[in-house]
Amino acid sequence: MKKILLSGAALSLLLAAAAMPSAAQTALFEQPALITSAGQSADVQIASVQARKAGLRSVLIKAAGPKDLASAKTLVLVLGASLKGLGAAGLDTPKEKERVASLLAEAKAKGIPILVLHLGGEARRGDLTDEMAAAYLPAARMAIVIKSGNKDGLFTRICQAKGVPLKEIEKTLDLVEPLKQAFK
Amino acid sequence: MSSAKTDKRGKRRASSPLFGLVIILALLATAGFFAARDFLSMRAEEPIRPSAGLTSIRPLSSYFPALAGTPGDTDVYVFKGREEGGRVLILGGTHPNEPAGYVSAVVLIENLRVDRGTIFIIPRANRSGFTHSDPQEASPQRYAIETPSGRRFFRLGSRVTNPVHQWPDPTIYVNPGGQALAGIEARNLNRAYPGRPRGNLTERVAFGVMELIRRERIGLGLDLHESAPEYPVINALVFNEAAADLAATAQMSLQDQGLDFRLEASPPNLRGLSHREWGEAAGIKAVLIETPNASHGRLKGRPSASLVVDGRDKFYVRAAGLGRLYVPFGPEGIPLRDRVARHLAGVAALLAGLADLEPENAVGISGLPDPDGIRAGGVGAFLRRPPGGRP
Repeated sequence: MKKILLSGAALSLLLAAAAMPSAAQTALFEQPALITSAGQSADVQIASVQARKAGLRSVLIKAAGPKDLASAKTLVLVLGASLKGLGAAGLDTPKEKERVASLLAEAKAKGIPILVLHLGGEARRGDLTDEMAAAYLPAARMAIVIKSGNKDGLFTRICQAKGVPLKEIEKTLDLVEPLKQAFK
Repeated sequence: MSSAKTDKRGKRRASSPLFGLVIILALLATAGFFAARDFLSMRAEEPIRPSAGLTSIRPLSSYFPALAGTPGDTDVYVFKGREEGGRVLILGGTHPNEPAGYVSAVVLIENLRVDRGTIFIIPRANRSGFTHSDPQEASPQRYAIETPSGRRFFRLGSRVTNPVHQWPDPTIYVNPGGQALAGIEARNLNRAYPGRPRGNLTERVAFGVMELIRRERIGLGLDLHESAPEYPVINALVFNEAAADLAATAQMSLQDQGLDFRLEASPPNLRGLSHREWGEAAGIKAVLIETPNASHGRLKGRPSASLVVDGRDKFYVRAAGLGRLYVPFGPEGIPLRDRVARHLAGVAALLAGLADLEPENAVGISGLPDPDGIRAGGVGAFLRRPPGGRP
């Protein structure tokens, strides 16, 4: 009898666990989202288009400051350094780092969760992007990256070390579904 | 009377310096004749054989009469569909030393059919630039593309207008956008927008293009270019603000086809370029497409026609190994057929994106070779043979 009760309890637990969504499927973020760049690559535009396709309420401000978080419930940080993009935005590397740091500090102070994206793949890796990944990923609640950009496992290593759920996608077209799942 | 004298050893020698001078002048004249013939041969335009879908060919001077009779006047190929739709301008040959842009425009003209909307194609945007090569670069004058009916030759021109047509260069060039540039940029069409109606020849060509954009109510402008493998803006779509969503949509579609393109926003403070000024001056969406061309990079070995077409260069392979390039570059090189395939895929993806985002401005096309077909069969398979004969 004791064995039957224990088996029943174990089965119930298994069924309950199966019914629970995985970390990647759980809605971790609320709308509206502020989408901004870290590094000023134009990949931030892809995030904006795909967020719209996912039906999310979001606003794109490439060089957002802390004040832009006023009405946001999620900060989407799109990693990707572009010297041309930085120049176009009238920024240099120290200023960009300073801007992102102030944004992250504000998000932390307000309890706004951060979703980090890297959408440029292998072509959008480089010293500055890698440096930003190491600096900003630990603050994320979740990260979604294009698989080709993680060939050397950089994002995996950082996310595993900091306990950040990481979702790899093959291509940017595949971003819509993970976004739908990640947002309430 | 003899012009020779006998020297101390009794041998006869030419005594008159005039005789030697005549020989030297004759040699110089002969060399000059052949050099001049070569130089002038660059003015002969290779044929373009439009598809049956062509509606009309008109000169750029029909939009800006001051260009008539100048080396800047150039043909505009018009493909008009039966249904009304979007209006698109495509430029090749803005920089005639970037062959994939020019050849892609030629392939478009020779294959395109438009069912809806209108496409205007200017294959030799800087026509004067096709009439000379960059000095001291040892660039070949021409390259050949193999076709089923034989070889077709194309000129490899210069990045800038021929100095015979526009001279001298200023020390500092302040372009119509107000940006100060090196003097040679006064002859660079892609620094001259939105042009000046009474400016230098290059600025007048730029003004002619702007007049076309305004009068034909163009909604999307595409400018086909190439860049050196060591240049960071490569395999890229460079877009203005109005085209941001379109470029992002096209980039995702291209990635889905296995063609990775970088997205690069047009810097608002970099003036005179098509992707900046077409939007600023005429409010249109503007996208510039870049593919990698080893033949005009600085790290290449010997310049040659085969480097243009086959795109193989051992020094670029080495540079890639050292991490100095912004594109993968293996021993197989980056051949012209791959670069043209990328350009045409880019054009197709942008037109598809336009139809997706703005159905009222959709342009319906057919006949465009698909990228796999070009990569497999070569560009020549999509160049039309001359009526009844050899190329």
